[in-house]
Amino acid sequence: MGPSLLLRRGLQAIAVCAFVVVVTFLLVRIVPGDPVSAISGPQASAETREAIRAELHLESSLPSQFTAYIGDLLQGDLGHSIVQQGKSVTSIIGESLPITLYVVFGALVISAVFGVAFGLLAAVRGGGIDMGTRAAVMVFLAVPPFFLGLLLILLLALEIPVFPAGGWGEGWPQNLEYLVLPSIALSATLMPLVASVTRQAAKDAMRQPWAEAASARGLPARLVVFRHILPNCAASVITLLGFNASVLISGAVVVEAVFGLPGLGQELVTAVTERNYPVIQGIALVTALIVVAINLAADLLSLAVDPRIDPS
Amino acid sequence: MKLGLRSRGSRGRKRSIALWCGVGLFVAVVLLSILVPIFSAYGPNQLVAKPFQAPSASHLFGTDALGRDLFVRVWAGGRLDLAIAFIVVGISFLVGTLIGIATGASHRRWLDSLVMRFIDALIAFPFLVLILALIVVVGRDRSAWVLPAGAPAIIIAILLIDWSIYGRLARGETLSLRSRDFVTAGQMIGYPQRRIVSRHLLPGVMRITAAYAVADVILVIVATASLSFLGAGVQAPTAEWGSIMYEGRTVLANAWWVSVIPGVVLAFTGLAVGLIADALLNVER
Repeated sequence: MGPSLLLRRGLQAIAVCAFVVVVTFLLVRIVPGDPVSAISGPQASAETREAIRAELHLESSLPSQFTAYIGDLLQGDLGHSIVQQGKSVTSIIGESLPITLYVVFGALVISAVFGVAFGLLAAVRGGGIDMGTRAAVMVFLAVPPFFLGLLLILLLALEIPVFPAGGWGEGWPQNLEYLVLPSIALSATLMPLVASVTRQAAKDAMRQPWAEAASARGLPARLVVFRHILPNCAASVITLLGFNASVLISGAVVVEAVFGLPGLGQELVTAVTERNYPVIQGIALVTALIVVAINLAADLLSLAVDPRIDPS
Repeated sequence: MKLGLRSRGSRGRKRSIALWCGVGLFVAVVLLSILVPIFSAYGPNQLVAKPFQAPSASHLFGTDALGRDLFVRVWAGGRLDLAIAFIVVGISFLVGTLIGIATGASHRRWLDSLVMRFIDALIAFPFLVLILALIVVVGRDRSAWVLPAGAPAIIIAILLIDWSIYGRLARGETLSLRSRDFVTAGQMIGYPQRRIVSRHLLPGVMRITAAYAVADVILVIVATASLSFLGAGVQAPTAEWGSIMYEGRTVLANAWWVSVIPGVVLAFTGLAVGLIADALLNVER
């Protein structure tokens, strides 16, 4: 992988970040009419309106609003909450973001491990397992994560009480059991995709002459699969996982609501009901930047594991 | 591919069975959503029986916390969800395809890369997060025409983002078609750009974006239901799949049917749309 390619990908990511900032800035200003009355609603008090107006720098001209916004951002200042006595948005996000990332990480691990396993199994064994996997992929793609979450609560928390139905623990080893069901629910969207991409990549790899050569050398089937076929699926799977980072964060927002996890999703939903716009804007910006970073990382990682992709 | 004629034939048959299963299931959902609210003896918000009655012959899907009939509520909810999905997908498909072709076929490369970076930025936001922000900006309480309070904000918010995916697909397809011989031939004959775009590029690009539009129907329905489930979507007492599931969430242990039945109907709708989209994409390959 040449340094010029690294540089180009990096510059592209920075350009997207700049546009992300512009979009978050424009969000509240694209709607015709007074944004303050749209956000604060009909029953808002004069103080609330004034607080929103000051928070969003709406008293000045558009260009100076933008420079003020950028200036705040560069100092790591995402504004202040309109509700909780002006608590800073940065600290609200700082407290809740880790929980969301744990759930997303859990879902990533589950999707990668089980998705690759089922995909490989379907490709290698074929027949009934292949058909079964494809049918399961179809069904799971149709089940939204929050519905799977409700079903998991019903079955594994209420009927057979294995896991807690929701909430968050006091400390670390204990927190794990609160993460199991949300992570499974969230992986529902991604795991079927991983399985079908792995299945396709493995089938393509099995058709290659080097795979036949490996079998012809008398290598046991297990070695052929794990040494030769699996590494060739890695790049496709990594690209897919990176590409779905934003889908996972979207899903995490709803899954957190199902399980009552005090993560970013919970903060976002509270902010929406309280019409607490600075918090919403901050969360939108931070999650988008995280997605850009994950996309870039996945891009570079898939280049590292499979140099053939290098387009330069 | 070392497929004989015979096996290809049986694959084709399997594919068309899947397609027709999908179409049949989807038509059934659409018909029930249209007909049940019209011909039912009671309205979706009418209190007709004791609360929390399990599914039975007189109330096929049971009753909810207020004693409303869930069979009527679920299909009335389906009518709203399908209406929102058709409006959003229809407009996004048209607008996105046109913008994608226009930027892809344009000779001003700066315009193309400007629009593309903007689309990249829109897609970088987690879909639901950006939609929630837009809903607050648009104003959640608005109702318009026959749409109940909450629905117009959902439609506008999803529209503002959804077109970008069609735009990206259409632009990519336009770029790949532009270098093909039949387009070059058209240019050499001296056809005007407008004719090249409408006769040579548009049909090929539309095939790709139309196949995505089918799959997009379920994505929009899931987004709508998720928003209502989060309390930011359609407002009570309007029936909607996500809002019914939200109402049933706290009584899951005693009255599972309130949440589970709309979820199962939603999943079947997703399955139907998935089967259709899958068959369409495979046929075209």
